[in-house]
Amino acid sequence: MLWLLGEDGQRHCLRQAFPITFFAAGPPEHLRRLWRRLQSQPVPLQLARAERRDLFLPDPLPVLAVQVERPIDQPGLFEQVSREFPDLTYYDADILLPLRHAAAHGTFPLARLRVALDDQERVQVIQPLDSPWELDPPPAPLRILSIEPDCDPRHAPPQALRIHCERQNYRLPLELVQSAETGYPVPRPGAWARPLLANLSAILRRHDPDLLLTGWGDTWLMPLLLDLAAEHNLALPLNRDADFNVMRKREFSYFSYGQVIYRGQQVLLCGRWHIDLYNAMLFHDYGLDGVLESARVTGAPVQSAARLSPGSGISAMQIVTALRSQVLVPWHKQQAEDLKSALDLIHADQGGMVYQPIPGLYQDVAEIDFISMYPGIMTRFNISPETVGREKPHAEPVPALNLWVDRQETGLVPRTLEPLLEKRIALKKHLLEMPAWDPRRRVYKARTAAHKWLLVTCFGYLGYKNARFGRIEAHESVTAYGRESLLRAKEAAEDLGYEVLHMYVDGLWVRQVGRNTVADLQPLLDEISQRTSLPISLEGIYKWLAFLPSRLDERVPVANRYFGAFQDGSLKLRGIEARRRDTPPFIVDIQMGLLELLSRAPDAEHLADCLPKTLGLLRGCLQALRLGRIPPEALLVTQKLSRELDQYRTPSPAARAAAQLAWNGKHLRPGQLVRFLYMRGWPGVHAWDLPEPPDLRAIDVACYRKLLLRAAGTVLQPLGVSEITLRDWLLANASYGAPPGKIIAARR
Amino acid sequence: MGRTLPSATQTFLLEQEAFTRFRRALRRSDQLALDDLFTCARQHIAAAAYASHALPFEVFLLAMLLEEHKQVMHLRRLLEEAGHS
Repeated sequence: MLWLLGEDGQRHCLRQAFPITFFAAGPPEHLRRLWRRLQSQPVPLQLARAERRDLFLPDPLPVLAVQVERPIDQPGLFEQVSREFPDLTYYDADILLPLRHAAAHGTFPLARLRVALDDQERVQVIQPLDSPWELDPPPAPLRILSIEPDCDPRHAPPQALRIHCERQNYRLPLELVQSAETGYPVPRPGAWARPLLANLSAILRRHDPDLLLTGWGDTWLMPLLLDLAAEHNLALPLNRDADFNVMRKREFSYFSYGQVIYRGQQVLLCGRWHIDLYNAMLFHDYGLDGVLESARVTGAPVQSAARLSPGSGISAMQIVTALRSQVLVPWHKQQAEDLKSALDLIHADQGGMVYQPIPGLYQDVAEIDFISMYPGIMTRFNISPETVGREKPHAEPVPALNLWVDRQETGLVPRTLEPLLEKRIALKKHLLEMPAWDPRRRVYKARTAAHKWLLVTCFGYLGYKNARFGRIEAHESVTAYGRESLLRAKEAAEDLGYEVLHMYVDGLWVRQVGRNTVADLQPLLDEISQRTSLPISLEGIYKWLAFLPSRLDERVPVANRYFGAFQDGSLKLRGIEARRRDTPPFIVDIQMGLLELLSRAPDAEHLADCLPKTLGLLRGCLQALRLGRIPPEALLVTQKLSRELDQYRTPSPAARAAAQLAWNGKHLRPGQLVRFLYMRGWPGVHAWDLPEPPDLRAIDVACYRKLLLRAAGTVLQPLGVSEITLRDWLLANASYGAPPGKIIAARR
Repeated sequence: MGRTLPSATQTFLLEQEAFTRFRRALRRSDQLALDDLFTCARQHIAAAAYASHALPFEVFLLAMLLEEHKQVMHLRRLLEEAGHS
């Protein structure tokens, strides 16, 4: 079944015959038994012998191809087959239908299509008229209906639903009470819900939206509405297709890259899309434009693309590439790592190269970055699970590793990535040339952000054992080429007389006295791209740049803690308080305010001239804090729970806040965020989502003052002003003459 | 995901920890000098990682020596300058 938006503005639901195939491999006698078994069951299908390629095997594999006439029969049939014949290896068995359609017909979400129908309204021919790689596709004329409660339901029971569609606004009253069980409000018993449901149905029918954009729709609102509709026995036309039930998926927490991630439950619709602003992956990062772009380029359905991790997105792209080139997609991958010697392991098991910069303040530093380094390496050096391996006649050795890459045939991963990488580079180029006022900038930025996440995870998925086309040797080769390229860049810079201050995986910071314009740097860029054959760009030239030492030991440098101002006055900061999610907005604003003041200095030597102004700003902020003039929202600390409450040995402030919520019947799961204020006295915190408001007089001013001074100290430290000196100046009113330390701009 | 081997920083800290008994028996002034040596070596963790030597402590010793030699060169230059003036 296909939902299409016609040029006449009509929404069409079309049917298309679409048989799907899965494959089984194994000993011939087992396959013969499977053949006989399949012939004696009722599901209509066709059987054939075939040869296909498994990327992880050297030779083509004889397989049994099972073509199921109706896609709806396939999951049940496959489940039965895999249970009865557990010894066989299965391929192409659990692939999302839209991906199969994408592979067979070149379709993708939001594609422009030409469709020919037969006399029974069945699709005969379907032909895409554009490609996902088009830079400026015309915007899809979607009807979007947004539904949001009038306040955060975790904070207090909302009074009404606000609905907006096609320049019309509606307000539907709610009667809710706080629930002791879920932490979300539940309906008050009574007849109030009937008019709500009736009105909502009328609005849905009147506008017939293509996309429902909700706040907390997955986690709270949609389940609530569905339950109410069931209770009152009213049909709620959330689905465009009334034959299907609304799909609900359960919540779960998982562990990824050292972080606990919480995914709320999901509510998926048929015939139209539902996206929950607060349950969509990275929505805050790239918005609806980014979600639609990742659906276009990955081929994954929009509702999944909004909720999937970028890793699953890249997986989807690889599956489509594999299906198109008749490469088998493993069902359960059983690929063990190749044996390697201990010494090989020591050489191979490394990440990107991360230097320790020498802490201090520097002037006229240029930052040079490789553009999408790892994806660039994969496409440039043809790195893919099937191309990396032992020595072969046409293979090229991987730098410093006991591995070889076959360059004869383009691998699956480079083939998948190439158009995406090209599109990203083209969009970025357009962005650079576009004037600041151009309205397309926002959309372009959202799209490049979506690409960025896909490309970043692509590298991770190459090394992930359970990814369908992951292989650790390929992953190791990418980092090895990365280290080699960065070292070649370093050598090029040093050969041209630059001092290399810092290197970080795909970027390097260099300086040379008297070379501080874009034109000055061009020879270096050319030299690096010539020596590495990878694309490289100048991120910018800093007026001044400070590399910060470790908090614990001033002599120990840390790789990713720095801030600086580019020549155009824009700031770049990493690893300091303003970049951390748990820093209260009040502190972030002050730190950014200080940096803004410093960014006006023309060079490092004139930074000290900004000191009186920064101290004035800090005095004002401290006074506002003392007098209780800072709104509590600006003091909120947001932290992630890392474990279940009973697993904390010494409860952190976040755990104590979560415990307060738990006493009030709101239970948070690991990976969920908890918002709280620091308070005087036990337990030292006040959870923001508690029903009663905090006592503003008991806010722990001393604690916020400490956070403020620490954040200010981070910024002023490169000027020779330590946190202790700052405290003396600001709190003990010591007189300020000149900075006590000298500026170390010209340090060797 | 997850690494099979400890990172170079972890290796460094393990090696440093292996000398806690040695450090404990030193005089306080010597302890501080030893700490300095380790702090110097820390600047070259990235290079040590890239070298991925089977005996990482050899590389850390060389890094200490390297920093010491830089000091010697620096002091020699200062002395020469003082001698000239």
